[in-house]
Amino acid sequence: MFEARTIRGRLLLQLVATIAVVPFLIPVVTMVARSLSGSGWANYAAVLAVPGFARFFLNSAIVAGASILIIYLATMAASYGFSKLRIRRKEIFFWLMMAALTLPEVVLIAPLYATAVRLGLLGTFWAVILPIAALQIPFTVLITRGYIDGIPDALFEAARLDGASTWRVFWSVLIPLARPMAVALIILVLINSWNAYLLPKVFLINDDMGVVTLLPEFFRRQYNDDTPKILAAAVVTAIPTVIAYVALQKQFERGMAAGAIK
Amino acid sequence: MTATTSALRGRATPAPTRGSGGRSTSKAARLIPSGIAWILPAFTISVGLIYYCIGYSGYLSFFDWTGGRSPMFPVGIDNYVRAFTDPIFWTALRNTLIYFVVVFAVQVVGGLLFAALMHSRIFFASVYKVIIVIPVVVAPATLAPAHIQVWQTDGTVNQILKTLGLGDVAQAWLGQSTTSLIVVTLVGCFGSVGFGFILYFAGMSQIDPEMIEAARVDGASNLRMLFSIVLPNLRPITISLAILNFITALKLFDNVWLITQGGPAHSSEFLGTLIYAQTAGTSRNVGYASALSVILLIIAISVSIAIQRRGRERAVKLEEPADV
Repeated sequence: MFEARTIRGRLLLQLVATIAVVPFLIPVVTMVARSLSGSGWANYAAVLAVPGFARFFLNSAIVAGASILIIYLATMAASYGFSKLRIRRKEIFFWLMMAALTLPEVVLIAPLYATAVRLGLLGTFWAVILPIAALQIPFTVLITRGYIDGIPDALFEAARLDGASTWRVFWSVLIPLARPMAVALIILVLINSWNAYLLPKVFLINDDMGVVTLLPEFFRRQYNDDTPKILAAAVVTAIPTVIAYVALQKQFERGMAAGAIK
Repeated sequence: MTATTSALRGRATPAPTRGSGGRSTSKAARLIPSGIAWILPAFTISVGLIYYCIGYSGYLSFFDWTGGRSPMFPVGIDNYVRAFTDPIFWTALRNTLIYFVVVFAVQVVGGLLFAALMHSRIFFASVYKVIIVIPVVVAPATLAPAHIQVWQTDGTVNQILKTLGLGDVAQAWLGQSTTSLIVVTLVGCFGSVGFGFILYFAGMSQIDPEMIEAARVDGASNLRMLFSIVLPNLRPITISLAILNFITALKLFDNVWLITQGGPAHSSEFLGTLIYAQTAGTSRNVGYASALSVILLIIAISVSIAIQRRGRERAVKLEEPADV
């Protein structure tokens, strides 16, 4: 964007960029450096040896996997209905859904808590998965419907004229054509559900149901504020996310960009 | 062609005027299978759960209830009166506003700066990009222990200040009611610049290169180009960021709870932490939490609508001279 023709200009741009990046490095460098203080790499060995450590990752995977599956199927079906099928007063249904678009999850905490207590859902994964799905679906439907609106009706009509049932059209025409959108959608839901903190904190009260975002607190209790070990646990927790991002940069960025253009 | 062809024109923003599209009675339209069953699962999960929660929240807000099996006492509008007369509630609102203004400004300026720099030819651009996006993709809850290390009394910030000979400025950032909000806000900036960057970077790639070339031929400087061509083209992104940031500030919980717990002395309290403490804390009142939730919801909806409406008006004004 900036065009620097002189060497001085290019050096200046490089310098500005480098200085601007430094504040972003400080917490990361501090985290890694302090996690190695005291007994060095033994901190990591101690953290990895804690029984139930892997359980946190498994639980996060369960929450994220179930959220993705529910949201993906519900979104694709609903977008198909809204975009290509006949529904009376379609837009009323659509706007009822879109009214919940920017709803923050904290407003659901009190009523969900009350309901979960009554139904005995406190301490089950459903208490986390269903609210996550409910909060994401309006948005994923909005972007997916927009995408499917852009696919010509003629393709669907041709399939129908060839005798394909609505199901068949859904699986054989819509799902393959919507794949680029689906990747962005899945990454968006993955980030949001993997990083969710408030809902698991309120509803997953048992240690054996903890998800990765609850790990720092778990270790604070476990180690009585043994800071290097808490930080070692945080580094270990962050590594899978960082690797996933570095490996799938394009998909992550598309997922997040889809998440903002409303 | 069927009557639903009109649906092709609308893209990500479906206009309400399209409402008539689905109600055509032409023969072709009736051949299209009904889709009501297809939207039902999504509709039940999201609209069902959310509207149920909002309704239940409204109901609970008229009770005093400590949760669990304890009895509920009807108290009328006392919970709302309590909120508006509670100084902590007003502190939370003030903090929300400060947080929103600062983080939004830093995100727009920082995001634009990085996006413009990465679109220029600089070395290590891909490394820099990963560094600023990591705080966006890694959970705030995971990074919170690191922020505590950075800001505590013998932490990194104070060490840097001492090295620079500014030892006098070093202080207990987390332990003072005058500085705790600063820390929470800066941590918010740290985690959001990368997001602004991703959106602006993508937006800049879509600006017509001919427009930029033309401006350059006309002798526009780098900064002139940024303000006169790039920024107006990115307006929709800026509006989205404003709405998203406002919602984020309203519901802020993770970082605050893990770094300052809203303290000391409620100085860094936000609506999110208030609602959490009243729902799951030791001296809780689920009814009061519900009243706070209802207030939060009303603020969230009215501000989003206001920002969107203003954004649309200004976008229309901007487009007019462009046609000449």
